[in-house]
Amino acid sequence: MSAVTVDPGTSGAGGSGVEVAAGGVDRRRLVSTIGVPAGAVLASLLVGAVLIALEGSNPLAVYAEVFRGVFVENRGLRNTAIGATPLVLMGCGLAIAYRSSLYTIGAEGQYVIGAVAATAWATAGGVRDLPSPLLIVGCLVIAAIAGSAWSCISAALNTRFGTNIVISSLLLTYVGIAIMQWAIRVGIRDPESFIPASRMIGDAALPIVPGLNTHLGFVIALIVVPVLSVVMSRTRFGYRADVLGHNPNALGANEVRESRVMFGVLGLVGALAGIAGYIQVAGVTQRINAEFSVGYGYTAILVALLGRMNLVGVLLAGLGLSGLTIGLDVAERTYDLPSSLTGLLQALIIIFVVLADAIAGRIELRRP
Amino acid sequence: MNTVVTDARVDAAPAVTARALTRRFGSVAALDDVDIVLRAGEIHALLGENGAGKTTLVRILAGLEHPTDGEVELWGAPVQQFAARAARRHGVALVQQHFTLVPTLTAEQNLVLARPTGRLLPRRGDATNRLRSLVERFGLDVRGGVPASELSVGEQQRLEILRALDADASILLLDEPTAVLTAAEAESLLAVCRRLADEGRAVVIITHRLAEVTAGCDRVTVLRDGKVVLADAAVSEQSKHTLAEAMVGRTSSATIGLAQMGDHELGVERIQVHHVTVGHLHDVSFAVRAGEVLGVAGVDGNGQAELESLLAGVRAPDEGTITLDGDRVEVMRPRDRIRRGVAYIPSDRYRWGMVRPMSIADNIELGRGGRWRTGRAARHRTAEPRLTEWDVRSAGAAAPVRSLSGGNAQKLLLAREMSPVPGAVIACHPTRGLDPLASSVIAERVLGAAAGGAAVVWIGVELEELLSVSHRIVVLAGGRVTGEFLPPFNRNAIGLAMGGDR
Repeated sequence: MSAVTVDPGTSGAGGSGVEVAAGGVDRRRLVSTIGVPAGAVLASLLVGAVLIALEGSNPLAVYAEVFRGVFVENRGLRNTAIGATPLVLMGCGLAIAYRSSLYTIGAEGQYVIGAVAATAWATAGGVRDLPSPLLIVGCLVIAAIAGSAWSCISAALNTRFGTNIVISSLLLTYVGIAIMQWAIRVGIRDPESFIPASRMIGDAALPIVPGLNTHLGFVIALIVVPVLSVVMSRTRFGYRADVLGHNPNALGANEVRESRVMFGVLGLVGALAGIAGYIQVAGVTQRINAEFSVGYGYTAILVALLGRMNLVGVLLAGLGLSGLTIGLDVAERTYDLPSSLTGLLQALIIIFVVLADAIAGRIELRRP
Repeated sequence: MNTVVTDARVDAAPAVTARALTRRFGSVAALDDVDIVLRAGEIHALLGENGAGKTTLVRILAGLEHPTDGEVELWGAPVQQFAARAARRHGVALVQQHFTLVPTLTAEQNLVLARPTGRLLPRRGDATNRLRSLVERFGLDVRGGVPASELSVGEQQRLEILRALDADASILLLDEPTAVLTAAEAESLLAVCRRLADEGRAVVIITHRLAEVTAGCDRVTVLRDGKVVLADAAVSEQSKHTLAEAMVGRTSSATIGLAQMGDHELGVERIQVHHVTVGHLHDVSFAVRAGEVLGVAGVDGNGQAELESLLAGVRAPDEGTITLDGDRVEVMRPRDRIRRGVAYIPSDRYRWGMVRPMSIADNIELGRGGRWRTGRAARHRTAEPRLTEWDVRSAGAAAPVRSLSGGNAQKLLLAREMSPVPGAVIACHPTRGLDPLASSVIAERVLGAAAGGAAVVWIGVELEELLSVSHRIVVLAGGRVTGEFLPPFNRNAIGLAMGGDR
């Protein structure tokens, strides 16, 4: 029988580190949960330092500027939180999917589809005059449903035809972005706007939370993390997701059909990505234009990996990566460095996480 | 190259002399100061329980593993380096317990793969001829032209052996070759081994089965916990009894049987299989009563897998019906099976029954429990008493299942499936791969369920075991029921039925 499609290449990187069930903190768990991500970040910062030095700047000064940009600069922390919001929301979903050995990489597409669906509804005639709280709740629900449906296409293709989830989810992202490009030119275009863009989201915009100074979406992300932690550790759904990741045959023979759990998990990934898309529109961009897709859905993959598929880890990784981006942005301006440095460091982190996992695995093999 | 070893070699040094071999994995010694001598022309049985070090020993001889200490001589020449290539050059061939065939390649291609012939692949016709000549020469029948995955287990095994012989093996090491074979197949394999030995080869057979040692081997070495407990003894001077004692360190009772369980009344028919046809199975009918153990005998691959998935509710019959306590059941959702009290002991426990990386407590919960789960500590607390009750030796409920030995993993599976007391038990090869002690514990538990009123279907390949545990035996051959037997069982008649004679 054709079980859940697992890409052998990614499963080594993703699946090996998680010790879902083993109780107690043994040394091996400690290495994989803290040692690997910390080592990877440190190693990529070191390589980054070499590159900065090649550019003719003092790496230490640049990293100090990064730190200053986040913690000292006006709005540094606020921007970090706002930047982390979509990463954390999508990273949580992806973390759960990877624990289930469902290697979807299509969060970007679900994010765009969620944003388009919510914006279309909230800017439609008749709807846009509704009271703000109603609009926001309605948008969250619609974005979740739309993103979830988009993600479930991968599940349906896999169940029906055995299509590889990695491939279908990636390709669906391009379709999703194409739909968005069409929508902002034809479907939900703002007739007043000169360039292709949707109408302003209006009253569906997220309010600023007093005290935190960020939009409401960050609070939503902060709530999602503990809620999903409980779902994973204390509900049958979370248990089944973990069993699916480790032995789909045993799941099918003792709990429930594999495809049901697959639809559930991929649906959850899509719902979170859709919500992230709407939050980005309603909290940051206010409307969708042609440059709306900037790759948060891909960075979220890194967040899930770096967070070791652990939801609290995802929160930390999301904040950390967002902070690095914000800080580097400041440092790049101060020291006149190329703006590709951020992407470069992110790519290095991925490579080092994968590498560190492989090395940790090899050490594990040698020790009986 | 000559394949038949010359007489000069036979007269000279023994094929293999190993002295003081030790192999440590961390602090554990898999082999501890082992001496062994293997001579050309003899079949040498290597006997021992699971984990006694048999496989490690042959892997060292085949160059797949390095000894921590000790030395090995092949044909009198000391082995300098332990490498698979060097061992092969000296004529050592190992047929491993887990097959190493490429499943998508045909028999011919697997042969070519094992014995590369320069840069160009041999022509298809040459490869076919090579396979045919090997098959004819050694009398090991293997179909060519079909992917290895479609060959029966017995054929795959024979192909593995052919591949070893193709490499001109003069020292043939067979790791549990009969574990997957039927009695008849095992017998013919032993006959082949005899012929290979007569041609001047040294043959080593690792086995659990005492009958094979006494029936087909010349000499025997028994390992226990990595040490030699019976060295190079002539089989003719041993009995099954003395060998069993050496193997387990005490006089072992064979698998516990009905004889030890006392009598109980059989009740109503709980499982009825009525003219069922699916896959290999053709028009199969039988019924099992409450309290009854129905043994399903036969060579593996004659419809057992289909019967297993039918009874476990995984697969629906194409024709015919299955009823459970009077209700017709087809494909059951796993939860429905569990609610109906059907305990399922799958033939491959790690594939269908447990999640190895997850904890013991999590595995005991598989298929049980509601929408919400308790906290981890509470789960561990509830699991612990059941581990004690079922004698699962482990490092606690938090330990992953992969840390358990085969016997303890099976006990854990039973702890889950057999409580609460089941109404029916589908036991598929429940003692496969377990040592005698663990086997008898498992058998006792399954028979205990029958005594408690469960209808038990025990699908097995080891006839001795089935004879001792069953109230009734049906034989599957070629997907049909070719015989139904009541005690006292007539072995010959059962054997004939297994061969397909009605």
